Amino acid sequence: MFVWIENTALALWVSTSLWAYPFLLSLHILGLAVVAGIFLLRDLHLIGLIGALPPSNFFDLRGLAYAGFTLNAISGFLLFSSQASILVGNISFLLKISFLSIAMALAVSIHKQIDKGGNITQPKISAFISLTCWFGTITAGRLIAYVF
Amino acid sequence: MLVWDNHCRPANRVCILRTFMLENFAKSISDSSLTQWIQTEYWLWPVLEIVHFFGLTLLIGGLIIIDLRMLGFFRNINLQSTHKLIPFVMMGFSLNLATGVLFFFGDPMRYAINIGFQLKMILIIIAGLNAACYHISIDNLAQKAGANDSSLLLPRLIASISLSSWFGVLLLGRLIPYVGTG
Repeated sequence: MFVWIENTALALWVSTSLWAYPFLLSLHILGLAVVAGIFLLRDLHLIGLIGALPPSNFFDLRGLAYAGFTLNAISGFLLFSSQASILVGNISFLLKISFLSIAMALAVSIHKQIDKGGNITQPKISAFISLTCWFGTITAGRLIAYVF
Repeated sequence: MLVWDNHCRPANRVCILRTFMLENFAKSISDSSLTQWIQTEYWLWPVLEIVHFFGLTLLIGGLIIIDLRMLGFFRNINLQSTHKLIPFVMMGFSLNLATGVLFFFGDPMRYAINIGFQLKMILIIIAGLNAACYHISIDNLAQKAGANDSSLLLPRLIASISLSSWFGVLLLGRLIPYVGTG
């Protein structure tokens, strides 16, 4: 299946076009700054490191963060498609996707908890795990190029 | 001593200045023990990259919130409370300055002649001057007005310059391995 992905017209465009890969990498780092930036600061805020503010303070930004995530899901999939069969065997890539899935699931759950109001302790724990996962996502993502 | 860059036309003064300063500096440090250390420790480069990415997330993530609020978006967020993000932005910048200097020392000649790197440095200087303007003028304006009014033109201009220059820094940085020299 992954070899089939690599041979689709889109994947071939990514791997053979001179500018497609750097262009997609640029979009990917833009999306990273938006989604990881907003969620990382949300986590630091929930843990209590950004002063005494209401927990919902930076929550209007979630839409923008999800937009960043969508940008990265699309650009990430296109980057993946060009070397799908290699990346599915790359431990760093698999770790990145795992960390990312946990972080995004936690984002949804944290936002639900905050919307309900009430107990702030639970989001605090989720925020700490989420923070760790974003750090894991960035670390593992960067290491994809170094692990074979 | 003038080091001539073959990619520059002699008529281009900026080009001569740039080449003269950066390339000479790069040459002078290329035999340093720091350069040799960075090149021999194979694990160091990926670690620096990870820290650099983490730093950019803090730096640009924080600025997106602060600048978009100054531009008038997300009005439910208290303008003053976005200022509490500034220490995190500064932390991100410090991490990236430190790792960035080590990158340069690790491969000075490659960076010195890379157009992506040169433009990135220019944009960082613009972003820095813009941030200085922000501190000088916003403090004065806030004192005069008694409160921060986000409808003022100047804060919006500063926020736009900040966002666009940092996004430029981000893109140029990512493209350094892909763009040509000189």
